Amino acid sequence: MSGAIVRARGITKRFGDHVAVDGIDVDIMEGEIMGFLGPNGAGKTTTMRMLTTLSQPTSGEIEVDGRRISGSSDPVKESIGIIQQHTALDRDVSVLENIRYHAMLHRMSRREADERIAELTELMGLTPYLDRLAINLSGGWKRRVAIVCAIIHRPRILFLDEPTAGLDTQSRHMLWDLIRQLNSEGTTIFITTHYMDEAEELCDRVAIIDHGRIVREGTPAELCRSIGQWAVEYRSEGRKSYRYFTERDDARSFLDSLPPDVPTVSRATNLEDVFLELTGRETVATEEVSYKI
Amino acid sequence: MSLIADSVRVSWIDMCFIRRNIPSILVTCLVAPLLYLVAFGYGLGKGMTVDGFPYIAFMIPGVMALTTLTSSFNTVATKVMVQRVYYQSFDELILCSMSPTAIALGKAYAGAVRGVISCMILYILGLAICPEMSLSLWVPVLVVVSSMVYSLLGVVSGMLANSNLTLTLFTSLVIMPMTFLCGTLFSLDAMPPAVSAVIGVLPLTHTTECMRAAVLGTAFPWVSLAVMLVYGVAFLLVARYVIERGKS
Ligand SMILES: Nc1ncnc2c1ncn2[C@@H]1O[C@H](COP(=O)(O)OP(=O)(O)O)[C@@H](O)[C@H]1O
Ligand SMILES: [Mg+2]
Repeated sequence: MSGAIVRARGITKRFGDHVAVDGIDVDIMEGEIMGFLGPNGAGKTTTMRMLTTLSQPTSGEIEVDGRRISGSSDPVKESIGIIQQHTALDRDVSVLENIRYHAMLHRMSRREADERIAELTELMGLTPYLDRLAINLSGGWKRRVAIVCAIIHRPRILFLDEPTAGLDTQSRHMLWDLIRQLNSEGTTIFITTHYMDEAEELCDRVAIIDHGRIVREGTPAELCRSIGQWAVEYRSEGRKSYRYFTERDDARSFLDSLPPDVPTVSRATNLEDVFLELTGRETVATEEVSYKI
Repeated sequence: MSLIADSVRVSWIDMCFIRRNIPSILVTCLVAPLLYLVAFGYGLGKGMTVDGFPYIAFMIPGVMALTTLTSSFNTVATKVMVQRVYYQSFDELILCSMSPTAIALGKAYAGAVRGVISCMILYILGLAICPEMSLSLWVPVLVVVSSMVYSLLGVVSGMLANSNLTLTLFTSLVIMPMTFLCGTLFSLDAMPPAVSAVIGVLPLTHTTECMRAAVLGTAFPWVSLAVMLVYGVAFLLVARYVIERGKS
């Protein structure tokens, strides 16, 4: 790890009166897997779109490789790859044409593109589907195509916006393996998710985001420690309650203090506890999102 | 040079679409112009002469001019709007390091191709049925230029429209009236001066003037060609601007 590859300070995005992202600072370190964990509507997609130049921040500054992106044709954009929440493919042309188009947009030579396409479609198991129209693929396969498109030019940093939302278990694990593999080969990863297990499983560092703000940031272990390492679940007044303790003995004495007929569970805290502590258990009905994949 | 190469790269996927769908594209390119020919040329205008030419020879260049407008404009505006709003694949163009000018030009090419196909078929047909029409190299040049101009207008509209409805609205309010009013199907001499002054500003009026002069071999209206080029440059600049600014 050596310094921040992307550095954002105080980025804010307003849509009319609505503040979608409210003064966020982000440092994405070279070589790491950084996660943004937050409920629907927290501002994850909006942040990612600003970091990848798809959207202009209302205020704040973003630097890639230590300098601001100087315009649409800044070559530094070639070091970025992105897989969007809504899979962005041209549906009325074939899979191969979609992939080849990306190679062209990154000005790869025909030969270089052919080699890379063969390598990646093999890796993703896409070879039998190359001549199909993109519209005829199921969600998981479309996402694989989107992944090939996003990494064809070997970006140094790959952004993934809720990449496993709506995918079956097999595809989910395949994607996690792929992300780990890319990361071990040196690609920096920035991923958003609302799945705790995904953040816990993959990320070196997690920022929990709610209502457009980062409420806490750290390694999964640090985050768990921040509310206490020991969790006690118990029933009181007909609903589940939670208490967190830094010392195991405190957790024990709390357990002992409960009436004997109260069902309890004691365990180590996990990211879900942290997430719910920080973003509130009484969920205000989160926004419905539809996954167009 | 690299600008042209980049714009060709940008257009590649739309060309793939054309290549895949050439038969249905040919059919859709031809239906409207042929209907104009039959309905107005043979149905309405039989035996009429305008400006000393048989009506059919007068109107074919007009229909060619309006075809460059509708064919190019609709192709590009719809494509850009759909790729931006519904497929979100337009984002990929913003993500790579192509300049806004390359993107604007590249997105225009598909429309230009369709404009050129429809128009050249009409021209060949016209040459076969109308002895007054002349074979001129100017015609293909004009067809390419004006198809590009209206394709660039299509890029602008496709960037600004946020749904099919807004696009349809623009087409009904701006494009449709132009196709009928800009001297395409009748001579502007009969119009009240105030009306013809307004019409005289519209780009399609100038396309029609140029096309008619080239096809019928009358004096070439250089001013009209210059006006069209100015419109083309203006549309390109606006397109570039909305692409740059279009990242909401
Ligand atoms: N283009 C837009 N116009 C208006 N509001 C938007 C737009 N995009 C996002 N928002 C709003 O900004 C907030 C954050 O959205 P988003 O970044 O998509 O959240 P997340 O990805 O975390 O689910 C939401 O309240 C959403 O409704
Ligand atoms: Mg989102």
